[in-house]
Amino acid sequence: MHISDGVLPTYATVGGYVVSAALTAWSARKTRSQDLPKLAVVTAAFFVASLIHVPLGPTSAHLLIPGLTGALLGPPAFLSIGLGLLLQSFLFQFGGLTALGANTLMMGLPAVICGWIFQRYKGRTQKRQAIVGGLVGALGTAMAAIFLALLLGTGGEDFLGMAKLALLAHIPVIIIEGIVSAFTIGFLARVKPDLLRAAFTPASRETDG
Amino acid sequence: MTAMRRGFMIAFLLLFPMILPGSLVAETPPDETQEVIALLKVQNSRLSKDLRRIQREIAALRADLSEPGVKDIFAGVGYIFGLFGVAAFVAARRKG
Repeated sequence: MHISDGVLPTYATVGGYVVSAALTAWSARKTRSQDLPKLAVVTAAFFVASLIHVPLGPTSAHLLIPGLTGALLGPPAFLSIGLGLLLQSFLFQFGGLTALGANTLMMGLPAVICGWIFQRYKGRTQKRQAIVGGLVGALGTAMAAIFLALLLGTGGEDFLGMAKLALLAHIPVIIIEGIVSAFTIGFLARVKPDLLRAAFTPASRETDG
Repeated sequence: MTAMRRGFMIAFLLLFPMILPGSLVAETPPDETQEVIALLKVQNSRLSKDLRRIQREIAALRADLSEPGVKDIFAGVGYIFGLFGVAAFVAARRKG
């Protein structure tokens, strides 16, 4: 799911950059220095995930994992996704440089929202964490599809039609991402539950715990 | 008058050999020429088939080239780790 160069009107491009820059700055401020290695690994996973193609009849869709990124990282997910998309547009020619702001917004905002939802409802048991993680993983892609329709709507496209189309096109990806996220988070909950903790608590409240 | 007629005769005799072969070939081409034409046709069809195959291959190659390769993937992962390494370095210095 990438918006290419020249699809969006100028004000949406500029607006996307401004909002993305502000959110990236916020996200960088929220990043604790001891989280940097985790951030790097999750960013690398996000960067590479878009190369995993899911065959879909005549065409194929690829994984996006905004939900999983958000659930693992919390607020720093926005920074992570911005960097991942920047490198994707440089190295893979996915989306254009002018649309980078809008693309980051489209993927980053669902990630942060999903992260918040995951931290809010993850509960304590491993099973519940896996289930909530799966739901959040599916929700992230669905939200990204809706944001895509919203952004294209600024260019004069019919919003409801686009939203329906984008959601329909991504149903298989949404399902697969739900499964992938559920397995990943279930595994992490079992092996290293620290990774799933406290992404939204302020840095001051639990420094070097 | 006779001089003029003689001139025409000479001109006709001179022109005749030039006209004759062309008209003869057009009416009944010798077997050899027909063979050559058939050969050329076969060659032509074979060449155009080859050309089409090569064009298809070029298109496939172009599609392959536009897809990111292993190099790009590792470059990106390296960039990500490097940038976060620099960030961690800066953060550590600021703390210390």
